[in-house]
Amino acid sequence: MLQLTINGASQTVDAPPDMPLLWALRDILGLTGTKYGCGVGVCGACTLHLDGVAVRSCQLPLSAAVGKTITTIEGLATNGELHPLQQAWIEADVPQCGYCQVGQLMSAAALLAKTARPSDAEIDAAMNDNICRCGTYQRIRVAIKQAADATEARR
Amino acid sequence: MKPISRRRFLKLGAGTSLVLGVYLTGCANESLLQAIPTPPPPAPAPIPSPVPSPAAAAPTAPPMPAPSAPAPTPAPTGPAFAPSAWLAIDTNGVATITVGKPDMGQGVRTALAMLLAEELELDWQNVRVEQAPADRRFGNQMVAGSASMRQLYGPLRQAGASALAMLLAAAAQQLQVDAASLKAEKGIISHAASGRSLRYGELVPVARTLPVPASAPLKAAEHFRLIGKPTPRVDNAAVATGQAIYGMDVRLPTMRYAVVARPPSFGSQVASFNADSAKAVPGVTDVVQIGSGVAVVASNTWAAFKGREALQITWQAGPYGQLDSAAIAESLRAGVSEPAAASAAQLVEASYDLPYLAHAPMEPMNCVADVRADSCELWVGTQSPGGAQAAAARMLGLPAERVTVNVTLLGGGFGRRADTDFVEEAVAISQAVGAPVKLVWSRADDMQHGSFRPISHHRLRGGLDGQGNVVAWSHRIATPGIGGMGGQMAASNARLPYSIRADVDAATVPQPVPTWFWRAVFSSQNGFVNESFLDELAAAANRDPFTVRRDLAQSPRLRTVLELAAEKAGWGAALPAGQGRGIAAHVEYGSFAAVVAEVRVDGGAVRVQRVVVAVDCGVAVNPLSIAAQVEGCVADGVSTTLKSAITIAGGQVQQTSFADYGWLRIGEMPVVETHLVPSSEEPGGIGELVYPAVPPALANAIFAASDRRVRRLPVRAEDL
Repeated sequence: MLQLTINGASQTVDAPPDMPLLWALRDILGLTGTKYGCGVGVCGACTLHLDGVAVRSCQLPLSAAVGKTITTIEGLATNGELHPLQQAWIEADVPQCGYCQVGQLMSAAALLAKTARPSDAEIDAAMNDNICRCGTYQRIRVAIKQAADATEARR
Repeated sequence: MKPISRRRFLKLGAGTSLVLGVYLTGCANESLLQAIPTPPPPAPAPIPSPVPSPAAAAPTAPPMPAPSAPAPTPAPTGPAFAPSAWLAIDTNGVATITVGKPDMGQGVRTALAMLLAEELELDWQNVRVEQAPADRRFGNQMVAGSASMRQLYGPLRQAGASALAMLLAAAAQQLQVDAASLKAEKGIISHAASGRSLRYGELVPVARTLPVPASAPLKAAEHFRLIGKPTPRVDNAAVATGQAIYGMDVRLPTMRYAVVARPPSFGSQVASFNADSAKAVPGVTDVVQIGSGVAVVASNTWAAFKGREALQITWQAGPYGQLDSAAIAESLRAGVSEPAAASAAQLVEASYDLPYLAHAPMEPMNCVADVRADSCELWVGTQSPGGAQAAAARMLGLPAERVTVNVTLLGGGFGRRADTDFVEEAVAISQAVGAPVKLVWSRADDMQHGSFRPISHHRLRGGLDGQGNVVAWSHRIATPGIGGMGGQMAASNARLPYSIRADVDAATVPQPVPTWFWRAVFSSQNGFVNESFLDELAAAANRDPFTVRRDLAQSPRLRTVLELAAEKAGWGAALPAGQGRGIAAHVEYGSFAAVVAEVRVDGGAVRVQRVVVAVDCGVAVNPLSIAAQVEGCVADGVSTTLKSAITIAGGQVQQTSFADYGWLRIGEMPVVETHLVPSSEEPGGIGELVYPAVPPALANAIFAASDRRVRRLPVRAEDL
């Protein structure tokens, strides 16, 4: 039995310690928002936050997640209010098939938490390992900037 | 162990995630999903400002807010008004539009619903969109050939108009006035003279007793409120909150997880296997042989993967264990025939090579199957609900109506999900173990055991007269083709939209590599070849590539998109050294596209800076979605021109993930500008239209920038 802190709640997981967090979330805890895309850490679909840092959950054994703060897409909105990025994603009509977008959002959220107004180069660097097979990159860039603007306006 | 009851499962699910239901509440058949109440998604705030459109020039009106789930309303007081399979309005006035076509990112759940909502004068904010299961009432549900809008623009508008006529008749009856004196707007019918009005919900009890008219008048285009308005996807909020349900996300009580060990080379088969070490992996419950290999079934996906790693299989060597890309290329070169002789002042010859490509959708193949004694239920992201149903029915010896196909969202398709191989595997495994099973393909499974855009080799000979006019064009193709449809399909698709008499023929050169439909099918090759070779002829004639195309364009609509793209891109304006512009066009699916690309070639590297696309696809139902399809085609075009190829060694595909199957990253995405030609023509297709023109526009731009002609894809540094 492993004890995990996911989206602010303590969860007990009956799974081997080498199981990647991705599969414990999806198959055992029923948190299917985090997606399986490649299983080898090269597509970014499974991105979530571990202590606020964007990580690939397909490469993260459960043992390495114990004692850390895990935030998944299900926990990105707070107090019933969408994260500015989620709002921007909806308004800028970013998704096509949508499958990669959870990972894109989690990478973008980690970026904005660190860099309030990222430059194009900073966006390219932070988002480089999140593949979108539908080609929504242009709108992702627009939405990140829109969310940065909205966040600043709120301050 | 006592099985978890459905109700109990729902309770369990609700605590941790909003399992299922968001998309699938429309399942007409008895299913788990039907029992789950639709959770209200976090309501997005109204969208106050126009979408900061990524240079999508066409949108002329402010965007329509996406509909959100209506606020909880009291239970309907009686049966709904449901004059067609597509529509149900309950007594509370909640309108549910059920879309029969699967959505793989092309946006049909939004655009098709808009058609019906337009004619029915619904309040878009109050529309719910649901996904139909496989159901004959929806006609052809296959999504392929950029055909959905062309097939349904008329029928869905008609369905909306007929329903409106019935609601107007009901209101006329109730208000004792002439129906012609009534006006419908945003779900309310009003009688101006008396100031009275009725909501659609109030009319349901009467309207549902009226006969469905055979036809009803359609709105004139100038009265459209929805069609033509940039409208964000109905699924955006669910996607952005992680609640959208793809096939991979379906969970059933007692469901198990399966992966399949497949042969290490084409044509190889299982000789024998020892399941002991696989079964020793905690969580693994079954190891069963099926047609495609050996399935490992477990209590979770990870255990299934571990079990597959531990599984010991002896494979019977297949006949193609030595096959490699060089041998395939050689057989195509040997198989292609000689282009026709031509007498002309100047002859130009060239040959082109295009590789196998994987579809590689972000969501690997998967399918949930529950095979029971006399029925079967599937949950699957499929481009072909009817095909999935027929495949399962055939395997199980059941009539089609005993097979329920619940259609989820698709995490990409690009043609791949029109096939049923993964459905058949899931059915076989569920049948073998007697339990509901989720079959999961790993990314490597997807790369290596899928079916691929066929490879092709092309030889061309063209002739110019003394004035530089194209007077001869002979094109010979060698390709394995797709399935039983060999090279002739490639040849019949190689027509030119220009006033050039083209002589085209193709040889079928069979290969053991499975092939399948990939975005734009053979146009993905012929578009590159034709538009590259036309550029070569223009260069040989010392003519401008844009004016050559404009002057030879057969259709005025093609001429218009060429002129629009050239104008918006600043065709002819000077560029710094090392940079160049290229142009290409494509005509198919009843639509027209022209692409101007700007590239920089620097030390063996190509940087795509800007891609300007002009499109005439008839009535632009949802310009925001059309621009998205254009952006997607550009991304595919840049990827497959610069990065992507499937290669063969040792009788199998070499690539296993996006680490070695290169795909565009955000920093490599050019600025894409989409310009739509205003049109009142019937809608044409858009999902595949632009792709065939992108690789040649890039290659022609590389030529303009560097004088190097790209004749094989993807571009290699040594070709620059």
